[in-house]
Amino acid sequence: MEAVRTNEIMAVAGARELRDGETVVVGLGLPQVACMLARRTHAPGLTSLLEIGVVNSNPIDTPVGLADSRIFHGATCWSGFLDILGMNLHRGVVDVGFLGSLEIDRHGNINTTLLKDEITPGQSKVKYFNGSAGGNDVASLAKRVIVIMRHEKRKLPAAVSHITSPGYVGGKSRADLGLRGGGPHRIITDMAVLGFHAETREAMIVSVHPGIRVEQVRENTGFPLIAAENIPETPLPTPEDLRLLREEIDPKRVYLG
Amino acid sequence: MANKLKSAAAVVRTIPDGAHIALGGFAIARNVITVAHELIRQNRQELTLSQCVMGLDTDLLVGAGCVNRLMVGGGSLDRFGLVQCVNRARETGEVESLDYTSLSICFSYLAGALGISFIPIKSMIASEVLERLERGGGAEYIRRMDCPFTGEPYVLLRAIQPDVSLVHVQVADEQGNCQIHGPRWENEEQAKAAHRIILIAEEIVPTSVFQAHPARTIIPAHRVEAVIHQPYGAHPTSVYSCYDYDSEHLKLYVERARTREGANQYIDEFIRGTRDHAEYLEKVGGAAMLEKLKADPVLGY
Repeated sequence: MEAVRTNEIMAVAGARELRDGETVVVGLGLPQVACMLARRTHAPGLTSLLEIGVVNSNPIDTPVGLADSRIFHGATCWSGFLDILGMNLHRGVVDVGFLGSLEIDRHGNINTTLLKDEITPGQSKVKYFNGSAGGNDVASLAKRVIVIMRHEKRKLPAAVSHITSPGYVGGKSRADLGLRGGGPHRIITDMAVLGFHAETREAMIVSVHPGIRVEQVRENTGFPLIAAENIPETPLPTPEDLRLLREEIDPKRVYLG
Repeated sequence: MANKLKSAAAVVRTIPDGAHIALGGFAIARNVITVAHELIRQNRQELTLSQCVMGLDTDLLVGAGCVNRLMVGGGSLDRFGLVQCVNRARETGEVESLDYTSLSICFSYLAGALGISFIPIKSMIASEVLERLERGGGAEYIRRMDCPFTGEPYVLLRAIQPDVSLVHVQVADEQGNCQIHGPRWENEEQAKAAHRIILIAEEIVPTSVFQAHPARTIIPAHRVEAVIHQPYGAHPTSVYSCYDYDSEHLKLYVERARTREGANQYIDEFIRGTRDHAEYLEKVGGAAMLEKLKADPVLGY
């Protein structure tokens, strides 16, 4: 069998964070792939919600985005934002918010709005991206939040350029911040799985992917990462995981690369 | 019963400069392209646009200089790219952008639709989304308050009641009853919050279709002012069960919109350089291209 790719390790690590019976609001890309894999393996009772108003879709062609009709296919319910983000997420019944991000910092604050290029000290040029859309709502209200993204020093800075979606802002607890949702739980990258320290609420290494050293992860992170003495390896995808990903879920490798 | 069918040009003549228009599209799906084009041809100015997730229609209107304020949750052209004209206008300050979240825009419309003047929400708290709104033009739309019953902190959103709501639908009748196939994002709250509802319909069907399935009517006729019948009216964005997005044309647009000059060139060539939507469709490939985009009746795309 063909060698395991990083995106496949990420998708499988994402899937393993989801438990059977849970309700997940899922963003497009690897979060969607991870969710579909979980439903086909250990979590057949998982419910996936898309913010635009799609419940448990079963696409047979790979969609290019959340607005692509391909992702409406095989759904059990079509509604809208008011139902998904309102009467599910805001109501408090969403277990997991599964998101991508432009930047994420040591306290799990997410930026999807803008980046600042420092031209001269004190003077910066702003470049805009997609903004929040449902991201802030999901990060504010889901019981736990999982973020999946590339591991680069500039994407994991000590503090994000703009807090689009709050994590543990300033290291404070979610209750102190006035937020209902439980906050960031995992950051899944192409190098490691990160979690958050229970007291300091800072990002820490949970596992490193096979072939990656803890030092490498630290070198590619914009803040000091806490790590225990013995960091386990992220488990490799099983042959069945790989078969499902490659043959059924993303045969055109739109997301798996 | 009144026949509410009108042309896009006739509808746009009734929308004044400075109007607040809510757009019913989402990224690359069901964008109100035919009316956006006509607003550009008739050179409307100083519009406020609102929407949960911006798409091509917003990007075109901003690129053409028709807009001075946005109230939006976010925006993209999915994997085709960013809303480049909008982002450029935000970066230069040409457009004032009140950047909300999807749910907070939807709640603001819901309050508007219910006729209540504000609504509490539990998102945006502890974020710079909230702080930027409070610092800028959003200040008149945002307050913070503790719940008088539980003491829990909330953000209060002022209701939004747009002057006009434009919604692209699959089917309508001449009176303005309509069905939306596929997910409906914020279409219902947005339309019902507005003072005037204008539909753009792919197909006009007899009222008996609605009488046979009344539960599927999302916006009933008595709220609707006008219906524009325009097949392929959302091109190059998709309409579920009617046609797919036009990947080639979206790529062409994204490439041109990288620069202000390129965006202007696109707008001059495809919008100002065409008399109406029929001429636009001819220019982008005509019947042969439309046939290729037509949805498979089972798959819906």
